Amino acid sequence: MFETLVKTFVYALETYAGLGLIFAVPFVWFGIQRVDSEAQGSAIGFRMLILPGVAAFWPMFLHRWTRRIVEPPVEKNPHRISAKP
Amino acid sequence: MSVQYGAISWNRQKKVYDVTVLSLLALYLGSFVGLGAWLHPSATAETLLIRALGTAAFLLLHVVLCIGPLSRLDRRFLPLLYNRRHLGVTTFLLGLAHGGFALFQFHALGNVNPLVSLFVSNPRYGSVADFPFQALGFFALIILFLMAATSHDFWLRNLSAPMWKRLHMLVYVAYALLVAHVTLGALQSETSPVLASALILGVATVLSLHLAAAFREKRIDQARRQAVDEGFVEVCKVDRIAEKCATIVSLSGERVAVFRYDGRVSAISNACQHQNGPLGEGRIIDGCVTCPWHGYQYQPESGAAPPPFKEKVPTFQVKVVEGAVFVHPRPNPLGTHVQPAEIESSQGRRREAQSR
Ligand code: FES
Repeated sequence: MFETLVKTFVYALETYAGLGLIFAVPFVWFGIQRVDSEAQGSAIGFRMLILPGVAAFWPMFLHRWTRRIVEPPVEKNPHRISAKP
Repeated sequence: MSVQYGAISWNRQKKVYDVTVLSLLALYLGSFVGLGAWLHPSATAETLLIRALGTAAFLLLHVVLCIGPLSRLDRRFLPLLYNRRHLGVTTFLLGLAHGGFALFQFHALGNVNPLVSLFVSNPRYGSVADFPFQALGFFALIILFLMAATSHDFWLRNLSAPMWKRLHMLVYVAYALLVAHVTLGALQSETSPVLASALILGVATVLSLHLAAAFREKRIDQARRQAVDEGFVEVCKVDRIAEKCATIVSLSGERVAVFRYDGRVSAISNACQHQNGPLGEGRIIDGCVTCPWHGYQYQPESGAAPPPFKEKVPTFQVKVVEGAVFVHPRPNPLGTHVQPAEIESSQGRRREAQSR
C-alpha cells in the first residue's frame, strides 16, 4: 500500500516535471513575450535562467498563454484598492 | 518607457561578493575532503564529497537565514543582503549536488526507480535511529529548487509580490526539514560531539537572531504607533538631512524647517521674522540657524535669536524613532524651548563620527 502510494506520487511528480520541461522549452522562446511585455527581445541568458521555474509553474503560463493574457496581474494592495476612481 | 529583463545584473560589488563566496566554498570543500581523507582513511571519496557538499549547503543556508535579521539589527550588514539571492541559488546548487550524488550512490544502482527507492528502501518511518532521513532532504530540496528557480525579478512580477513572498517564506520549512534530516541522519551515526554541538549552535544562532530582530521591530513599531497616536507626523529619515542643514516640510499649512546638528534634530518655523526668508535653506553657524537672506540667527532649540536680539519664531516638538523624524504639526508659542530629539541609531552615530 505504502509503496503504491509512493509510486503514484513519484510518477505523478515525474510526469508533471516532464510535461513542464516539454512546455517550457518552446514557451521561453515563443510564448514568454506574449504574457509579459518586459520579456520582449530579452537575451538567451534570461530565457535559460527562467526555464526551470517555467517548468515548475507551467500550468499558470499555459493558462495565460492560451487565454491571451498579455500582462502579469497587477498586485492588489490597500493603497491601490483605495486609489481606484 | 520600456524595460527589458536581463539574465543577471552584475556590478563590481556583486562580482566581488560572488568571487569571495565561491573562493570560500572551494576552500571549504577542499579542506573538508582533504581533512576527511586524512582523519578517516577508510571513507570513500564519494562519501566525503557527499558530506562536504551537504554540510556546505547547510552552512550556507544558515548564513542566508541570518543575513535578514542581522541587517535589521545593524545596517552595517545591509551589503550582505543585496546579493543574498546568489547565496540562495548557491545553497540550492550545493544541495542538488549533495542529493544527486547520494541518490546515485545509494539508489540508482538497483532496478527500482531511484526516487521510489529513496522512499521505500528503508520503511522504518516509526524509528528515530533508523528513520529514512533522506526523504526529508528530498522535500527540502524541492523547496530550495522552487526558491532558486524563482529568484529572478521576472518572478516577482509574474507571481505577484505577496505570492512570491509566501513561496520564499517556505525557506523556514526547508530549514526545519534539513535540521531533522541532519539530526535523524548524520547525527545518528556520529560518535564525536562536534557535529551535534555545531548543529545546536547553528539552530540557536538562527532562532536568537530572528527573535532579537522581531523584538526590536516590535519595540520600534510601538514607538512609532505611540508617536502617531500623540499626533506626530513622520517627515523623513534622519539621514536625508545633511549635518547642520535642514529639510523643509509642509505642516499645518505652513513650512517647517527640520534641522540636524551635533547628533540632534530640532524643528522651527521656516519663515524668518525679518522678511520671511526661508530658514530651512540656511545653515547652522556657530550653533544658530542662520537665515540665508540677511543672516538673522535663531537658536534651533528655542527659535529665539541669541541675546541681545529679540526675534523669535515658533518651534515644534520633534521625535526620532529608529532613524525616522517625527514632527508634531502644532506650533509652539514663539521662542518656546523644545528639547531636541537625539539621533539614537547606530547609523546616525556613524555619520556623526564621519562628519566630524
Ligand atoms: S529674511 Fe531672514 S534675515 Fe532677512
